[in-house]
Amino acid sequence: MGILLFISVLLVAACGLIYELVAGTLASYLVGDSVFQFSTIIGTYLFAMGIGSALSRYLNRGLVYRFVWIELLLGVIGGFSSALLMMAFAFTQGFELILYSLVIVMGVLVGLEIPLLMRIVRDRYEFRDVIAHVLTFDYLGALGASLLFPILLVPRLGLVRSAMLFGLVNAGVALWTTYLFSNQLSSTRTLRIACVVVLCGLGIGMADARRITATAEDNIYADDIIFARDTHYQHLVLTRFKDDLRLFLNSHLQFSSRDEYRYHEALIHPGLAAVPAPRRVLVLGGGDGLAVREILKYPQIESITLVDLDPEMTKLFSTHPVLTKLNGKSFLSPRVHIINADAFPWVDSNTDSFDFIAIDFPDPTNYSLGKLYTTAFYRAAARHLSAQGLMVVQSTSPMFARDSFWCIVETLKRSGLETYPYHVYVPSFGEWGFVLASTHDYTPPVSLPSSLRFISVEGLPALFQFPPDMAPLSVPPNQLNSQVLVRMYENDWKDISH
Amino acid sequence: MKVGRRKFLRAGSAALVGLSLKTDHPIAGSFVNDSFQMGHLLRDRASFPPAKRIEKFSVVIVGGGIAGLSAAWRLRKRGFTDFVLLEMNSEAGGNARWGENEITAYPWAAHYVPVPGPKAEFVRELFEDLGVLKNGQWEERDLCFAPQERLFLYGRWQDGLEPAIGLTQKDRDQFQRLEDLFAKFRASNEFTIPLELGRSSKFQDLDRLSFSDWLQQQGCDSRLVNWYMNYACRDDYGALAKDTSAWAGVHYFSSREAEEKGPLTWPEGNGWITRRLLERVGENVRTNQMVHHIAEAKRNVRVLAGDTEFQSEFVIFAAPTFLAPYLIESFPRLPDFVYSPWLTANLTIERLPNSRGAEPTWDTVFVDSPTLGYVDATHQSLRTHIDRTVWTFYWALAEGTPAQNRQLLLDKDWNYWKEAILHDLERVHSDIRQCVSRIDVMRMGHAMIRPAVRSVFSEERRRLTRRDGRLLFANSDLSSISIFEEAQYHGVLAAQTVLDRLHGHR
Repeated sequence: MGILLFISVLLVAACGLIYELVAGTLASYLVGDSVFQFSTIIGTYLFAMGIGSALSRYLNRGLVYRFVWIELLLGVIGGFSSALLMMAFAFTQGFELILYSLVIVMGVLVGLEIPLLMRIVRDRYEFRDVIAHVLTFDYLGALGASLLFPILLVPRLGLVRSAMLFGLVNAGVALWTTYLFSNQLSSTRTLRIACVVVLCGLGIGMADARRITATAEDNIYADDIIFARDTHYQHLVLTRFKDDLRLFLNSHLQFSSRDEYRYHEALIHPGLAAVPAPRRVLVLGGGDGLAVREILKYPQIESITLVDLDPEMTKLFSTHPVLTKLNGKSFLSPRVHIINADAFPWVDSNTDSFDFIAIDFPDPTNYSLGKLYTTAFYRAAARHLSAQGLMVVQSTSPMFARDSFWCIVETLKRSGLETYPYHVYVPSFGEWGFVLASTHDYTPPVSLPSSLRFISVEGLPALFQFPPDMAPLSVPPNQLNSQVLVRMYENDWKDISH
Repeated sequence: MKVGRRKFLRAGSAALVGLSLKTDHPIAGSFVNDSFQMGHLLRDRASFPPAKRIEKFSVVIVGGGIAGLSAAWRLRKRGFTDFVLLEMNSEAGGNARWGENEITAYPWAAHYVPVPGPKAEFVRELFEDLGVLKNGQWEERDLCFAPQERLFLYGRWQDGLEPAIGLTQKDRDQFQRLEDLFAKFRASNEFTIPLELGRSSKFQDLDRLSFSDWLQQQGCDSRLVNWYMNYACRDDYGALAKDTSAWAGVHYFSSREAEEKGPLTWPEGNGWITRRLLERVGENVRTNQMVHHIAEAKRNVRVLAGDTEFQSEFVIFAAPTFLAPYLIESFPRLPDFVYSPWLTANLTIERLPNSRGAEPTWDTVFVDSPTLGYVDATHQSLRTHIDRTVWTFYWALAEGTPAQNRQLLLDKDWNYWKEAILHDLERVHSDIRQCVSRIDVMRMGHAMIRPAVRSVFSEERRRLTRRDGRLLFANSDLSSISIFEEAQYHGVLAAQTVLDRLHGHR
């Protein structure tokens, strides 16, 4: 009997500590500033425990009966605390209010436990033994919980289920107590039914925790995720907030439907409209079909070849109704030929010639992508240009990644091409840069397709002007054996984010 | 049914063991390209069949490694075709052999050539011929892509192979001291590639002591400095610094420009050069031709291979020189020619293993490993997305004597080496066993010449390099260091000498 009793002290103590840790951790995750969160939560919790201890003197009769109810209450509140807090953060404005209320309620209940237990057993042992045993097991439980929490519970179960697991422990102790002290209870039936109900509730919660987390996360992380998929090549996420559709590849924003027309009009028209009688166009990258949508505005173009690595990406943008609406079903045009291949080997082995080449790769964030921004690549790509042909390269931001932008310009120059850098403002990206490259002089177009919303003949000359804060820098070209661009790009963006 | 306590425990623990066992990928593989059987026939003076037919050529080249192929390249480039090249193995290439699977081509041994300096004229000429050097510019695609090298040290990665993290002031001072010394040696123009063009007796004293003794004389006792110096010797000579001539140790660091733009390399390593050379001289190459006897007479040289006797005016002996006493009539023994045994392996990697966060590089080396690490065959690929690759793993068996290690190579089975390689890689790639599907292992008892103490300035070597007589030696081991440039230099020079003498005769 003795040891069983003290084991319940140990379990109860562990539960108490776990709820406190759950609250502290969740607050740190969601709000940040972990020192502040943990300090205030521990302080509040201990203070509330003091209140509980103080209140315990007003409980005089039916101590076992009350203890069982306290355990059940704690099991429910503590067990669901984590889920409750996540929901509170996701769906309400008053996260802090709910957080501290919950901490206080749990603290008071935990504060009641030990004094009640001591009083329940005081008749069996001497006073000094009661104090010694109960406190020993109390502290032991705390140690166990504090070790289990970071090592096993958080990594294996996560916060929601960890809290529920200990809710189950609380309810278990309650049920057990009804057997341990059945002689001190007048009727055990109601109590046991209540215990079973709580246990079942928490059990279902455990099983369904994933949905609770997902529901909450959907709301925590910005917009609705309407599509998410790990393709063989990348992590693809599509979000929607009201009428704004955003595509993220490996967490990098690719476009926002509110202003992507600015980016894609700027990518295509200054170059393509300047090519006399263009017939054949090559797009490298651009699996979203938005650049192709712009190219299709030229009726004289007979064929558009798009080379994109990821078949799932081009398939998605050929079939998903929301996306085909955005790209005007450009991939379904009979003039468009989609080739899913790695761009560099394709450019190397193919021998076709094109009047316009749009190079729209992701930014050079790693050495693999960096290969697509080298003199070797541009030389290979330029071999596909027809005599009157033009090439355009998306070249990251001349504002935020000024070195990188001018490095791409330099790389194109060293590849034996004339360069004509320009820039536009895309609200969701900021200042964004492109480089036109050719083997001959470039003259801006005198007419453009009629339906454009951003690029205009009058506005064109200004795009080629670079103010002092984006003015050319003297940087080395990017080559396969140096890959200076990748390091430059990393540094450029590091400077911005700190 | 009642289950006894004991039985229950046994079943329970078996289940626990079963649960905790990782499911390892089955790993296939075997020894490949073994050639010691043929060498041992020669060593044991086995009897060979008498010649059934006679073929006549002006020149016979023995050995189809880089030296022999380079001799052939020079001959054909000068419009001379009356020659045959005899290669013992089924494929030419020697230390520049390569392999290929459905993923990529990969090297079996030598895998790069440093950008040649101005003195390496023949190498530059070859690279112009192969389109690697155009109008004074090195083809970007043939230079090693970035990032090139990473070293695993103190539980983390650093760029480059010279230890740079966690150095004490003492380490730094010693690295600096050596750098200054090597710069002076470099400025002396004594340490060149090809070696023959610079070497005079000026620093001959260095050849009389070991590199480790010399390092000690310079006050270099830092663990990392010594690791790096030993790594260099193992990498280029297959030997520890204590078994390397100090002259050769200095040569490693002083023979090349301090700032060079990174080596020339290809997926199949120097096998790429072998392929290009074979495109040019393949007609004259015969494989599976084991030469078992060479006799020099007054008017010609007779070379016996299989059941054929080749008669020629000149023989270019481009095979490893240690074979000469076994092949050539009344040839003295060659005690100054010591060879390091090596093991290389090609690992088929199905998915990139955990690399503790580092981006893959061309060359990966671990401090405190007896091996030399590995090279990634798809590093030079132009693709942006690479799932599967082949790693070429290098291991110079430098601890102990060459004879002991040759015996070890013969005694241990494939499984032993497979496990040794996986253990070595596991120190960094914890899940390597789940990522490898095949490990092929190549054993080479006499992989490369070792520039042992007193061997760089050896009289024996000088004598063999004379290039008089009808028998001309051409292997890189004449230089005492086994690098591409030396092999090519000796091969081309032997061919040129032969051409000059033939024209002189006529």
